[in-house]
Amino acid sequence: MTTHKDSFIALPAPAADRIYRPLALTPGEDLKGYILAKAGHAVLFAITCTSVLSVLLIFFFVIREAVPFVRDYSLAQFLTRSDWYPEAGAARFGALAVIVGSAYVTLAALVFAVPVGILAAVFLSDVVDFRVRAWVKPMIEILAAIPSVAYGFFAVRVLAPWMQTHWGFPTGTNALNSSIVLAVMAVPTIISVAEDSISALGPELREAAYSLGSTRMETTFKVVIPAAHSGIIAAVVLGMMRAIGETMVVWMASGNANQIPSPWWDLSQSIRTMTATVAGEMGETAKGSLHYGALFTVGVLLLIVTFTLNLVSEVLLARAKKALGKA
Amino acid sequence: MKLIVRQGLDKVFTVLTGTAVVVLSLVLLVILGPMIVKGTSAVLFHGTVEFRRMQQALFNRGSQGQLAAEVAETKAARQKVYDLIDAFKQGIDTESLKDQAGRIHRQFGQELQDKGIQGEQYTALRSISRDIRTRLEQAFDSRDPNGIQQDLAYVLGFADDPRFRGTAAEGFFRIARQFQKAAGRVDVARRGQYATALAEVEGIVAELLGPRPGSPMPPLVRQQYGATRWEQAQAILHRFSFTEQWVEDQPGRPLIRREVRRREQFAGTDLEPLFDYVPGHLSEMLRPSLTIYWQFLIDDSVESHTFGGVGPELLGTLAITLLGMLFVVPLGVISAAYLVEQAGDNWAVRTIRMCINTLAGVPSIVFGLFGLAFFVLTLLPALGLEPKACVLAASLTLAVLTLPVMIRSSEEAIRAVPQTYKEGAFALGASPFRTFVTVTLPAALPGILTGVILSLSRIAGETAPVLFTGAVAMGRVPHSALEPTRTLSYGSYDMAVGDRIAMMFPHNQYGMVVTLVVLILALNGLAIVLRTRVFKRLKGH
Repeated sequence: MTTHKDSFIALPAPAADRIYRPLALTPGEDLKGYILAKAGHAVLFAITCTSVLSVLLIFFFVIREAVPFVRDYSLAQFLTRSDWYPEAGAARFGALAVIVGSAYVTLAALVFAVPVGILAAVFLSDVVDFRVRAWVKPMIEILAAIPSVAYGFFAVRVLAPWMQTHWGFPTGTNALNSSIVLAVMAVPTIISVAEDSISALGPELREAAYSLGSTRMETTFKVVIPAAHSGIIAAVVLGMMRAIGETMVVWMASGNANQIPSPWWDLSQSIRTMTATVAGEMGETAKGSLHYGALFTVGVLLLIVTFTLNLVSEVLLARAKKALGKA
Repeated sequence: MKLIVRQGLDKVFTVLTGTAVVVLSLVLLVILGPMIVKGTSAVLFHGTVEFRRMQQALFNRGSQGQLAAEVAETKAARQKVYDLIDAFKQGIDTESLKDQAGRIHRQFGQELQDKGIQGEQYTALRSISRDIRTRLEQAFDSRDPNGIQQDLAYVLGFADDPRFRGTAAEGFFRIARQFQKAAGRVDVARRGQYATALAEVEGIVAELLGPRPGSPMPPLVRQQYGATRWEQAQAILHRFSFTEQWVEDQPGRPLIRREVRRREQFAGTDLEPLFDYVPGHLSEMLRPSLTIYWQFLIDDSVESHTFGGVGPELLGTLAITLLGMLFVVPLGVISAAYLVEQAGDNWAVRTIRMCINTLAGVPSIVFGLFGLAFFVLTLLPALGLEPKACVLAASLTLAVLTLPVMIRSSEEAIRAVPQTYKEGAFALGASPFRTFVTVTLPAALPGILTGVILSLSRIAGETAPVLFTGAVAMGRVPHSALEPTRTLSYGSYDMAVGDRIAMMFPHNQYGMVVTLVVLILALNGLAIVLRTRVFKRLKGH
């Protein structure tokens, strides 16, 4: 506030011949101002709607390119068969194996990522003080910032040969490899959303639990996590979205074998995902061909899945917010 | 439950939470550490004289005179290698000896004709010459030491014949004597084996020192130079000293691969000293010195990233990124300003927010499909342009992709401006618009800049959306926004899996991906520092 003092002194003395404007506006000026304000508001609103427009365009164009395929090829066969032979004389587009593949690596990634993510979130919010957080947070941000192609590079050039020599896998590019790397990529999302919702609970609940003689572990499992469960589930869902939509890592490190793993628990097999199929084959198709339409249909499927997961996470986060408001 | 058990469990739990974070730090270290170390070697390494020769020839860099002097100095050291090989070859390389014998025979006939020798004398001399040639060939092909000595003795029997003195036929006796000497030292029965092994050695020497002076230049650029880097030279030296063999470890078990000293293949021959000479004089022959090849960042690549750098890729990434920012920054800041300053909580705003969240969740590959279907195949033809992947389409696609990042971080920055600033401006009679432009925006600018940097780093690292909209693995530097470009992200992918040749040059392979990672981490580091400072300042008020 001290800085403003000087400007008061520097103000010129009002000139004697200056005509002072009345404080109230004339009706004409008022209307102009009103119209300008409204017009400005409308322009800003229109610009802000770019995001809405983008979403609509994405849905419209991706679905539009998929429509001919759905019309000409049986959707039931697309969803229930796993014979994907786009180049064959009678081309077949059974996408079941790649759909299963996507779900497979995503779930496997979550098995690794969720415990680590939630434990790390608890560590950051309940165990350590502010100074440690200030060091750990940027590290997690770096983990989130590394481009996916660099993760893919690591997976295929470092992790894959290592797995092959040390674990004796027939191939280094397999479901386990991509799941591990996807887990690393999903962990930052899970930590940041889970930590937000865990620390948003505030100290009251914890203090109440501690005053009843609970240990930290009991407080975490019986009080904090149940109270923050909406936010934590949202964190898992968002991490899942990150994993299912990831392209480069699975394209580079999953082995791209169009098969459903059998036995189902054997992660050392090569699989193929929806994203990798699109990335790998789009370059070779002609616009308007059945293959082109099939890949767009895979895209639509991805869009539907992520859109649904997004809605779920939003509902969960809104619920978490509401619960906090009541508490 | 007993208290001690509960406390024990609690301790275990606390340690587990800490372990999770420690594991994450280790993962980060494992991923980035080796990658950055290997990538740095693209720029910082011990370059040999071959590297400087390559730089001079391909990029016209360095002093020509100095290089010539250096090459001359290495020449003497290298000559010994070639001499040793040549000496050994005389007893081995019978094909070239046979050629020589044939040549001498023809030359001798020519000489006789030139001298005007005709009739019976001519026929007799020709038939002796033919005889000698045949016996020599027989000796060269033979694996029987006694047979060889007999053949050579027959040939050398003519050595004192006055009819051959001073003629081309003396060549016969020269090579016969040479071969007699060489054959005495070489186990003739293993000559075939030696020849194969020698060809291998010669190949490795060419890899190490470049093509032999005087021999025809190989068409591939990577074969025109020896080891350009010292660590590469060390690796080649290892292959020079050791050879892999499949040996039976235990009877009945599968063969195993084992490294055997290569000198054992040449034990007792003229070539054996080579295996002491090359390791001992390698630095004399290659003259390594610490090199900072910063031009890696601007040089074009040569022959599928054999040599050169990532100049076009870096340029393409910057072009796509900056063009994308041109679209996304105004849109993002205005949207954020509207959402914070103007919009209430009605259904329209809720829809907008939901769309922003949806946009943030769309998989990157779907952005690629969208960019292909909309920007490339619909928008470009609508504008009267050729519908092909180009920088513009890639930038637009990435702009849409990063819009949520930009809006969210700008919103946060604008929200962080204290209400008192605005109230001060309002109290002075400023309109909401004026307040925003003169008070809120300047105060929020560092925060918005943070968002800009984060969006930049997001755009620069994306690969999937540019796959079909603007990135190529090969091709020239684009001259306009309507041409496709190479990018660091797609280049990293291509070199990691698509490009077989790149595997032979891991420093360039890692150099590419590390350039991208360092670029992005530097941007993120900048954003983190900036953000910390901004929040400190705004809190201070």
